[in-house]
Amino acid sequence: MENMGTRVIEPLIMGRVVGDVLDFFTPTTKMNVSYNKKQVSNGHELFPSSVSSKPRVEIHGGDLRSFFTLVMIDPDVPGPSDPFLKEHLHWIVTNIPGTTDATFGKEVVSYELPRPSIGIHRFVFVLFRQKQRRVIFPNIPSRDHFNTRKFAVEYDLGLPVAAVFFNAQRETAARKR
Amino acid sequence: MLSSAKHNKINNHSAFSISSSSSSLSTSSSLGHNKSQVTMEEVWKEINLGSLHYHRQLNIGHEPMLKNQNPNNSIFQDFLNMPLNQPPPPPPPPSSSTIVTALYGSLPLPPPATVLSLNSGVGFEFLDTTENLLASNPRSFEESAKFGCLGKKRGQDSDDTRGDRRYKRMIKNRESAARSRARKQAYTNELELEIAHLQTENARLKIQQEQLKIAEATQNQVKKTLQRSSTAPF
Repeated sequence: MENMGTRVIEPLIMGRVVGDVLDFFTPTTKMNVSYNKKQVSNGHELFPSSVSSKPRVEIHGGDLRSFFTLVMIDPDVPGPSDPFLKEHLHWIVTNIPGTTDATFGKEVVSYELPRPSIGIHRFVFVLFRQKQRRVIFPNIPSRDHFNTRKFAVEYDLGLPVAAVFFNAQRETAARKR
Repeated sequence: MLSSAKHNKINNHSAFSISSSSSSLSTSSSLGHNKSQVTMEEVWKEINLGSLHYHRQLNIGHEPMLKNQNPNNSIFQDFLNMPLNQPPPPPPPPSSSTIVTALYGSLPLPPPATVLSLNSGVGFEFLDTTENLLASNPRSFEESAKFGCLGKKRGQDSDDTRGDRRYKRMIKNRESAARSRARKQAYTNELELEIAHLQTENARLKIQQEQLKIAEATQNQVKKTLQRSSTAPF
């Protein structure tokens, strides 16, 4: 947390997560997202098969009296060149106490595994610090056309305190790397 | 082998020299087809490089007739002279082209003169022939539209949509390339951060290890003295 300057969100800016999904923010809480002990780092590629079950999300910040909301979205639906369905909502967990992990929170939208069909998608985890503990039942008729900014305003979450994203494309896609 | 090499040379030469004359070009390539496959391919290459797409299609129509008419070496003379006999812009119908070749055999005339003397209005002649082209080969009309004056109305629409599509694809490709670069940059940035993080952590751990070593060493010393004192009784 000491070395969390603006540098930390550089990859988020370069990857246009800041801009497409979020406004500029200063990370203040450390969040670890890992699939099967493999930590998610910005811009890394993960295979859909390796993200089929929900990740472990640890919050290294706050205390047990502070509460956090986690949102996972895909801003590149159906494809990154024309994301007319953006954002696609994958997961919402609220009331996660600080210093714990997402399993201690309330899952209000169940985890949907990433299934990118067209192009390379970004999958973004955004963490907000709640002003107080509260139970929310977000009105989500469809996972498509979700808007993280609007959601944050609606539930008075303010700016994010942490975010991380990974890339994923079809399992069978031709990879150049 | 020798003769085929010679043909090769001749055909290449003609392909270069007659690039302005469409009908003779097609004739040359069909001749090449008669003589040898390799030469044919080379001629094609030349034609394709010159992006004279529609001659190929023209050619297909003319081929059988030419095959029947000129199967021998004798036509090579005519063939070489042909470009000079033909007026470059208006490609005359196939029958007339062969007649001209036969008549003027080795008497080359400057092409512009022919055009001017035979036709009062070059533009009209051109329009006529291109319309013939259109009629005989509808697929070629987009290419011929490039020559101007003709079929603007019909050509316009499809030409526009084609250009539009190409433009859109280009834009899309650029966006995609930009995204790809951004992805790479983000990935690199992240790796740099990770390196920096690991380096500081490594440095911290090294210092910690040093401190532990020192602590251990002093503890050992203390231990030793203790051991000696405890083994002292003997």
